[in-house]
Amino acid sequence: MDLTPAVTPGDRDECAAALADATGAGRSTRVVGGGSASHRGVPLTADQVLATAGLDRVVTYEPADLTLTVEGGVPAARVTELLAAHDQVWPQAAFRPGATVGGLLATADSTFSRLRWGPIRDSLLEVVIATGDGRLVRAGGRTVKGVAGYDLPRLVVGAHGTLGVLVEVTLKLWPAPAASGWYTLAGDAPTLVQAARTVTREVYRPGAVLLTPGALCVHLLGAADDVTAPAGMEATQGPPSPQWDATVQVGVSPAHIGDLVTLLAGHGDEYVAQAGVGICHVAVHDADDVDRVRALATGLGGHAYVTAGPPEVRRDPWGAPPPGIDVMRRMRRAFDPAAILNPGLAVWDAPGDRV
Amino acid sequence: MTTLAPGAADAFRTILGPERVLDAATERIIYARDGSIADGVCGLALLCETTDEVSRCMAAAHRMGVPVVPRGSGTGLCGGAVPLDGAVVLSVARMRRILEIDRDVPCAWVEPGVLNLDLTAAVAHLGLHYAPDPSSQAACSIGGNVATNAGGPHCLASGVTVQHVLGVELVLPDGEVLTIGGPAPDPPGCDLRGFIVGGEGTLGVVTKACVRLTRNPPAVRTMLFDFTTTHAAGACVVDIIGRGVIPAAMELMDSRMIDACEGFTGAGLPVDAAAVLLVEVDGTEADVAAQTDVAVAVARESGTRCVRIAQDEAERALLWKARKSAFGAVARVAPNYYLHDCVVPRTRLVEILDAIGEIARRHDLLVMNVFHAGDGNLHPLIAFDRRDAAQVDRVMAAGKDIVEACVAVGGVLTGEHGIGLEKRDYMPLTFGAVDLDAQACARAAFDPEGRMNPRKVLPMTARCGEAVLGPDSLPPGTWI
Ligand SMILES: Cc1cc2nc3c(=O)[nH]c(=O)nc-3n(C[C@H](O)[C@H](O)[C@H](O)COP(=O)(O)OP(=O)(O)OC[C@H]3O[C@@H](n4cnc5c(N)ncnc54)[C@H](O)[C@@H]3O)c2cc1C
Repeated sequence: MDLTPAVTPGDRDECAAALADATGAGRSTRVVGGGSASHRGVPLTADQVLATAGLDRVVTYEPADLTLTVEGGVPAARVTELLAAHDQVWPQAAFRPGATVGGLLATADSTFSRLRWGPIRDSLLEVVIATGDGRLVRAGGRTVKGVAGYDLPRLVVGAHGTLGVLVEVTLKLWPAPAASGWYTLAGDAPTLVQAARTVTREVYRPGAVLLTPGALCVHLLGAADDVTAPAGMEATQGPPSPQWDATVQVGVSPAHIGDLVTLLAGHGDEYVAQAGVGICHVAVHDADDVDRVRALATGLGGHAYVTAGPPEVRRDPWGAPPPGIDVMRRMRRAFDPAAILNPGLAVWDAPGDRV
Repeated sequence: MTTLAPGAADAFRTILGPERVLDAATERIIYARDGSIADGVCGLALLCETTDEVSRCMAAAHRMGVPVVPRGSGTGLCGGAVPLDGAVVLSVARMRRILEIDRDVPCAWVEPGVLNLDLTAAVAHLGLHYAPDPSSQAACSIGGNVATNAGGPHCLASGVTVQHVLGVELVLPDGEVLTIGGPAPDPPGCDLRGFIVGGEGTLGVVTKACVRLTRNPPAVRTMLFDFTTTHAAGACVVDIIGRGVIPAAMELMDSRMIDACEGFTGAGLPVDAAAVLLVEVDGTEADVAAQTDVAVAVARESGTRCVRIAQDEAERALLWKARKSAFGAVARVAPNYYLHDCVVPRTRLVEILDAIGEIARRHDLLVMNVFHAGDGNLHPLIAFDRRDAAQVDRVMAAGKDIVEACVAVGGVLTGEHGIGLEKRDYMPLTFGAVDLDAQACARAAFDPEGRMNPRKVLPMTARCGEAVLGPDSLPPGTWI
């Protein structure tokens, strides 16, 4: 693992300077936010760790504009707390306990209630990144709408910090819904797949429709009158929060999520599948398991990659390089010319793809 | 004007045949303009009908080093589709098939020339629609919408084009065809799909798009409020959202625009009002009732003179027709218009409307406003006559003042029309040299030779230069 003590920049300039140094010296650098997602990618060691914990300021909060500007190391939980005072939400905050705002954006981990709130990438309005070679680049804009210039904010969401460290971000916020509730139904896979279909068809804009082995979980939000148990379902606390050692994230067309669940259930897998969205998290035990789940996903026209797990599970964390890999590599080179950022964390570092 | 390599037209004719390579001056002139006031010079126009043709034309252009400007319907308002220096215009307007509709996602794969409104019409029987609804939706293409990341009145709650594009097929400048994304969410790697949307024709040619379709809401309520001051209308916008309601759409029109639209459509707009707000809420019955209560209460507190709620679909359609024909209606006022598209933080709406009024007075020009007030996306429209050279100078000067005023209150240059040619040289107002160079590098990742829609979006000073080390300077043991 990474043994050297962490570099902890106190502001964006220090962060940029540290990265410029690292590029000059060819020192590979693992960027760590809350540390909640540090078990991804090809297991490669880095020469140093850069912790974003010191980038923890709230820059501006404009409740009336529904925008919030914070530094990348701010814990997502703090954002939730801050917004609650004004009855507003950044719905993406709750996905992974302990995560920082920058970390959630870098990994593109969206809220379970994505059916209603959309993916996390839609909530990033402006970003300042410290590139691998120590430039501070700002892109996007702080208004809730804007198309001035190329959409670098979208590019850095999900790039796992391999284009730059997210030092400051402006988020789009929403008014908190008047009411919100989770409901559940027990049953076998075919029953639940059918029930999920009914809910996605009959309930207008649910927050989430999650299929797990033995239970369907539905999130409703909106006007109080709309937040009542759908036929046959009963109230429950919240979304399932399974504790797995290793997880694969599958993406298939929402049209195939029922087929995927049927296959997984047939094998006795544990999973949380997002009906209507097409994402499914699956528990895996070893690298062969990853390959097996990936084969199911690709068989349905989708993809699968490891989002958490010990090194031995991450033999081939990403699968086949996606279309556009050459463009992605050029992007990486443009922002991190010495490729010091997060070795192993980008698809372009997948085994067999290394130059 | 750079002349095309000799034989260029013939090379394209071998691919497209003689009919679909236009080189007569009378034909080229049509392809030298778009919906803006910019004028360009078109070297040749190519009318492609398939991805394969686009790919072969792009490969040929690559071999000959010819610049290419992709074109959809040509309704763009920032000069994006205007060719400079005799570039080749590649039109995809004939690629008009809806290839596949998948009700279970729901989404559709469409060719880029499909008109926005035609897609919505084609899925209406399924209780679905395509959510982004630019006012030009009867004329603009989905490919153009993708390239500009178009917005529209109903993008306030449901999001702009990028939030509705799941995947694209893109032909790169050298002719390679890539399929990026699709209905399966979050493919591995960085989000090239999101980057391509809004690429303004500088990254490649979009030859297919997979777009999300949206369920029609079970209930809709459309309201018209009228105010004796624009201040009151602007304050009403801020307060409705401040009370936790994000309407499906919230559009503001000022008195001059009300006049023009009323004359054009006869929708019964209050012509003596200083401003009207058109507010639409949708959702479940309960949700719509709750949102309507808040909107009406806030409007009353803000001093609306009346609350008109559309009683049926016909009345609703009429109100929207009045709004969406605004730019057409301007033709009754002056032969030309120059439109800006800045966005300001919602809370600054009132002061910026004052500033725009003041700028118009200073330059002795007529400015009319009709815009997406809910997200602070202004559309100050300067009406003028381009035959009057002195007036044109004042129009340009006023435009600059408006943009600067918006930036001064924390705004951005464009909300939905794009940078293209017209707003290009304003980019340094909001971005530093380092930012612009980084954008140039990102663009170059798609188009290393800079042959796609050259001289658009980024000012000429932006360069992807020494920031990027050559492969030789990489420290040993690093991965690319
Ligand atoms: C009356 C009127 C009202 C309008 N209202 C709105 C509105 O409410 N919201 C809004 O956002 N816009 C609006 N517009 C602007 C315009 O309609 C949009 O920008 C639209 O998206 C342009 O589509 P188009 O097919 O006409 O594209 P074009 O004008 O042909 O091209 C626009 C840009 O996209 C590029 N491009 C086009 N097709 C492709 C392709 N297949 N691949 C790659 N690049 C491509 C071009 O190179 C150019 O840079 C309005 C325009 C008019 C005239």
